[in-house]
Amino acid sequence: MTATSLQRPFTVVSILPRLLDTNGDAGNARVLAQRIRWSGHDARVVDVHSTADLPEHVDAVAIGSGTDAALVSARDGLRSLVEELRIWSNSGVPVLAVGTGWELLSWGIDLADGTVVEGLGLVAGHAVPRTTRATDDIMVASKYGRLVGFENHARDYVGAEASPLGRVLHGTGNGERESGPQIEGLTMGEVFCTHLHGPVLARNPTLADHLLGAAFTRHGLEYSRGPVAASVDETAQAARNLVAVRLGQPVE
Amino acid sequence: MSSLRYAPAILIGRVVRVLARWRKPGGGSAIPGVVVNRIAPGFLATTLNGFPLGLVIVTGSSGKSTTTKMLVGVLRAHGLAVFTNQSTANISQGLTSALLEQVTLSGRIAGDVAVLEMDEGHGAFIAGSLSPRVVSLTNVMVDQIDRFHDSEMVAGLLAKIAARATETVVLNADDRYLADLGDALESTVQVDRYGVTADVLRRYPRGLGYAQTAPTRLATGTGVQLTNIVGRDADVQFVGGNHGIRLPARGIHYAVDALTALSTAQATLGERFDPTLACTALSAMPAVFGRGEVVTVGGKTIEFVLVQNPSSFQLNVDSLEANTEQILVIIGSDVRDPSYFWPVDTSGLGHVLIASGLKAHDIALQLAYDNVQVDRIEPDVPTALDAFMALPDPATGVKTIIFSADGMRRTRAHLGLVSNAEES
Ligand SMILES: [Zn+2]
Repeated sequence: MTATSLQRPFTVVSILPRLLDTNGDAGNARVLAQRIRWSGHDARVVDVHSTADLPEHVDAVAIGSGTDAALVSARDGLRSLVEELRIWSNSGVPVLAVGTGWELLSWGIDLADGTVVEGLGLVAGHAVPRTTRATDDIMVASKYGRLVGFENHARDYVGAEASPLGRVLHGTGNGERESGPQIEGLTMGEVFCTHLHGPVLARNPTLADHLLGAAFTRHGLEYSRGPVAASVDETAQAARNLVAVRLGQPVE
Repeated sequence: MSSLRYAPAILIGRVVRVLARWRKPGGGSAIPGVVVNRIAPGFLATTLNGFPLGLVIVTGSSGKSTTTKMLVGVLRAHGLAVFTNQSTANISQGLTSALLEQVTLSGRIAGDVAVLEMDEGHGAFIAGSLSPRVVSLTNVMVDQIDRFHDSEMVAGLLAKIAARATETVVLNADDRYLADLGDALESTVQVDRYGVTADVLRRYPRGLGYAQTAPTRLATGTGVQLTNIVGRDADVQFVGGNHGIRLPARGIHYAVDALTALSTAQATLGERFDPTLACTALSAMPAVFGRGEVVTVGGKTIEFVLVQNPSSFQLNVDSLEANTEQILVIIGSDVRDPSYFWPVDTSGLGHVLIASGLKAHDIALQLAYDNVQVDRIEPDVPTALDAFMALPDPATGVKTIIFSADGMRRTRAHLGLVSNAEES
């Protein structure tokens, strides 16, 4: 394979950004596209609200988090895209799902009033109510380095024990456990699910670059971050270190 | 009513007020309110409902404070004596304490009308006992600080307050939640609508920050309408004709606040409302600190832009003078969650000289991903301000400082400026 570029722009789709962007998580699509551009390739973000918006090729997928009031409409929107989501996840297209976007990909969401919002069943596990909302900085040890973010959720996640994103160093993550380490997130192939909301990929470029590596490999291309990314990543590291200091964790 | 029913409570409240001030000079102002509310729970409602021209309530997600100030100015220009609240904090106790300052022992206040600014949550809480003649609704915005309040819930709280209106509900016809709320109101109450023209809205492709924008604009002649805005100058169309106004700061949101105030003044004054007088009074309002106010410090002209939530950040970015050459952004510790501003598209800033404040790195990161060139990251606010002020005057635009509330406080302290408006 000797290809050096794609004959079209890399296409990052942002799923249901009108319903799933409460914390600016849809911005993760823009982070992926920018890093692709900084690596010297053309990239675009396509907002997908329904199947009519779907582009011909999809190279990466970002799904954000929404409000509980929009839970059912977001689920119905995602359900209309369930075939595509299944194809992407089975064919190694990197997918990032944050907060309720992740919960809706699961078996379902148990609500505090006892009712259940059925999920798409694409990833194992389900969401269950917490007694108190988890709102804090979160720090996670993962294969992709130490991840730093902010979490804000009223539900725990059960059933990700087999393949978590990482181990919680500070914060709540998937919830307190009676035994075993506290974990955060879920991974399945190139599908990454997390409570770290907002610009998780901007603050944690190693995770972003893992997703981009997967997207490039599918086309026989090699991803390497450009000089702009290297300098922006120093800013991200400084931001992460400030959180580490505040939480009494070592700086990197 | 002129009974002396509340006289003992009023007297006790006054004594407590004096004692509270002795204990803590300048403070303790809510304590007498707590005491009176406990011994005479009907005092607040009875007094507020007792003004000759009644009670006017201004509520909604944002713009309440500016709108209330504008409305009070316009009503006073018409010769009315207005009782109003300074802030929404501790509304029940705070109001009672404020009333105690002025009330006679018979429970009356010399004044023609009461104008109250209310938080949507507070409003629903005390609206049960109040009978406002006019309720004025600004908008339903999704503020990330309040992001667990979804739009439906906020609209529901506002509907509860609107349902208390005895005469008129004034509302923003461009806000879909409020437009629907107006359609659902009982026919016994009048609905006065205000809004912008399609021409004005077209210039804000991202909308005006409302949770949802109504699909249609007001038909010409059916309400107070904003027909044009250029910098701090705006044109307002009344049923009787056009008038120009000067806004206290640049930005479409101030123009909409002015519409709300003018429409509400019209509903309150009825036949007595004089649009020329109203627009003159409104234009005479002093500029608001930190919200597009232009100040001169050490011979240098600076424009301050306060961003309090993603909507106001976006509107401010969108209404910034094109090619503004010198921009300093200060985001402080008040923005706890760095994702707070990520829904905002900051690309319109183009080039930022310095990112500062405790969250300097986080905002710089967002700016970088929005293709905004950031020359320097300097978390220390005094250092950043000194460097920024030392630069020669820009060739295009004025020195512009965009800050969060914490950034504003630090800036004010370092530059030795006094604020005239800290509440939202
Ligand atoms: Zn609220």
